[in-house]
Amino acid sequence: MSSRIIQIELNRVEGDLNFQLELEDGKVTDARCIGTLYRGFEQILLTRKPTDSLVITPRICGICGTAQLNAAVLALEHAGRIPVPPNAIRIRNLCLMAETVQSDLRQSFLFFTPDFCHAKYSKMRFYEKARDAFLPFQGSVYRGALEYSRHIVEIIALFGGQWPHSSYMLPGGVTTAANSRQIIDSLSILNKLTRWFEQNIIGTELDDWLALETADDFFTSLTADNAGENSAIGLFTWMSRDAGLHLLGFGTPHMLSYGAYDDPHDEAAFPPDRKRLFRAGFLNGETGEVMAFDQTEITEHVRYSWFQQYAGGRHPFQGQTVPDYQPHSDRYTWCKAPRYQDKVVQTGPLADALIGGEPLIRELYQAEGGNAWLRQFARLRRTARLLKTMRETLQGLSSDLNGPHIIPPAGKDIPDGEGLGLVTAARGALGHWLQISDGAISRYQVVTPTAWNASPKDSKGRHGHWESSLIGLTVDNPDDPVEIGHIIRSHDPCLVCTVHMLDTGKRISLWP
Amino acid sequence: MTTLLWLQTGSCGGDTMAILCADSPSLEELVDVYGVEILWQPSLSALPMNRLDELIAAIIEDRLALDVLCVEGSIITGPNGSGMYDPYGGRSKMSLIMQLAEKAQYVVAMGTCAAYGGVHAAPPNPTDCLGLQFDKELPGGLLAAEWRSRKELPVINISGCPAHPNAMTKTLAMLAAGLPVELDHLNRPKAFFNTMVHQGCTRNEYHEYDVEDNALGGKGCMFFNLGCQGPVTVAICNTELWNGRSSKTRAGVPCFGCTSPSFPLDHDLFLTEKIGPIPVNLPLGVERANYMAYKSLAHEAAPERVLNKMMDI
Repeated sequence: MSSRIIQIELNRVEGDLNFQLELEDGKVTDARCIGTLYRGFEQILLTRKPTDSLVITPRICGICGTAQLNAAVLALEHAGRIPVPPNAIRIRNLCLMAETVQSDLRQSFLFFTPDFCHAKYSKMRFYEKARDAFLPFQGSVYRGALEYSRHIVEIIALFGGQWPHSSYMLPGGVTTAANSRQIIDSLSILNKLTRWFEQNIIGTELDDWLALETADDFFTSLTADNAGENSAIGLFTWMSRDAGLHLLGFGTPHMLSYGAYDDPHDEAAFPPDRKRLFRAGFLNGETGEVMAFDQTEITEHVRYSWFQQYAGGRHPFQGQTVPDYQPHSDRYTWCKAPRYQDKVVQTGPLADALIGGEPLIRELYQAEGGNAWLRQFARLRRTARLLKTMRETLQGLSSDLNGPHIIPPAGKDIPDGEGLGLVTAARGALGHWLQISDGAISRYQVVTPTAWNASPKDSKGRHGHWESSLIGLTVDNPDDPVEIGHIIRSHDPCLVCTVHMLDTGKRISLWP
Repeated sequence: MTTLLWLQTGSCGGDTMAILCADSPSLEELVDVYGVEILWQPSLSALPMNRLDELIAAIIEDRLALDVLCVEGSIITGPNGSGMYDPYGGRSKMSLIMQLAEKAQYVVAMGTCAAYGGVHAAPPNPTDCLGLQFDKELPGGLLAAEWRSRKELPVINISGCPAHPNAMTKTLAMLAAGLPVELDHLNRPKAFFNTMVHQGCTRNEYHEYDVEDNALGGKGCMFFNLGCQGPVTVAICNTELWNGRSSKTRAGVPCFGCTSPSFPLDHDLFLTEKIGPIPVNLPLGVERANYMAYKSLAHEAAPERVLNKMMDI
């Protein structure tokens, strides 16, 4: 029996990630997902004025700063019981959707599909077409994604001044009202992107594509008139399935969604009780049941993390983030291990679609499970849905152009107390938990989507989602395990990851 | 051909996301037209990571010429000076950057974090962050103040949180085209850092006539009460618009001075510190007494359309 350890280093927007895998006879027997970078945001926020979170927290993540800003403002509004008008909700939603479309296009076509240009696939039937479409800086779809992901965030600049990193959501609303110029500009950006998406990505009209509700309809649409090989969705699907990605990378069956986009018609309710356009829930992967989401069921463990230890799991309001770097112990990461109802869960567009009841995704899931191809497909399906929802949001804004964009909060300061902000970022469930004492931030805990997915083992020794999606996998060539790259990238870890051999046969210490 | 290696240290990836938004020139244009060869960029390189190890080895052994080293992110020196809060392949990124800097013709700090320390260096600076050649406003960071690259230049600081997309690509285009890059006292290219953010702000007329907002969400000037640092911060935000469309101050978001070494300030970011009715920090170079006289006169002279904030912004 041959055993070896391989080290996968992987960059992503929120920091660096490594995987350390143990292989026996080419099969992954253990996996450690290692968040190597520590930045200390939760400490930086302590003692600051509560509203400073609107400036500091977007800087947690360069690709989802709008979602961070939204979580921060919701936490402040929750703490202060501060109402917002419908148009503020619409503008926030529009910007969140634009950011997610940006992220999904970049993740899909700058980070995920370039792998199909790997020489390993040169004998595949659509390899040449895939290269023409997906090759970095040269492929037609790659270049289109560069261009249109750049355009879609112009909508955020129209309302928020710039992307990335602005602070235009504030307690009570947003900084500027929508006027007809911004709305026409936004529609123009959306129209151009939609046309590109229809012509190059899905090969048909948006509404027609969204109307495909069964697996049969979907696969038939790919075979009709060779449509599949002439659209990015078809090439991506056939390359994925020829490579067997629909048979790999399942991970935990449990899924979590916080729901997305507050309903502007339910502005009288306070978050987290305000209705959402896409609903929140917990999908129990063992029973198949979707249950109501309850944030009090969230805990975080630190048994295998480089933080000062406490027993079991703690809710973020009792959370503690004190670094305790112990490289020579069995602790291995800067990620905590979040659990929901004491279960390992995954979050992201697949979870959102299944909990939201998307018929096509649900049927594909029932047939083949939550595999690497479906996880990536769910992301592109979401792009189509968001392009439609953005248009509806702009219609909502234009029908109420004189409505207020802010209700100035009654008090000057956010009162002492606690609040939470839960949103759906491009990568899934994002939460901020804030406590205020003596007018200053006394605790700030952030649980990112990647914290859920990249979780290490918890205090009961149960692996996190990404770790378990790799355990049991057979690797063809441990020196160049392309399939691991596909699986990890299907979880949207933001940036490229690659494989780096350390040594064979014995455990290597990564740390001095 | 101009070879470019981009590494991320303590970073959110925002400067990478920003440069993807550059449009004049775009990143593609740098590659297609300016002959920039991206040896490595963590978001964009399709090559396996062991290729990065090979590149680093080749550069360090002088087998591969490195023209431009771009660093995105704070230089993390903790814990205890080891830099291991931010490791790469069993060593600190900090030590890797130092080694590569010696080989590069130019070293460019992409964003305020790499230039001066940035948000991660805000109190209590949990990870002991620095900039490449500054520690906040103090000269000397990871590299000493007198350090120079092979082209006899200090680290070129394209500060901003994130750096302005076109300031990044234009600087790279200048380096690739062999155009001179003149720097200011904080080693920022003067071409992008000699104009106040305030210049070109659509709220400027409100500022001129001292018509102020007391709460966010309005149309007036945010300098006097709401923490806006537009008149004391140099950047091109209002002369080369963000994403080709707008700027924070136009959209009603105060300028937080994110191109400055002191970003983020260590007090309420939405409040202007004042002595009496006058801000502590006045527009760059302005005398206090003159300013008070000028402002009260200006307010008296303000036309109705400004006083009543009747103009769109």
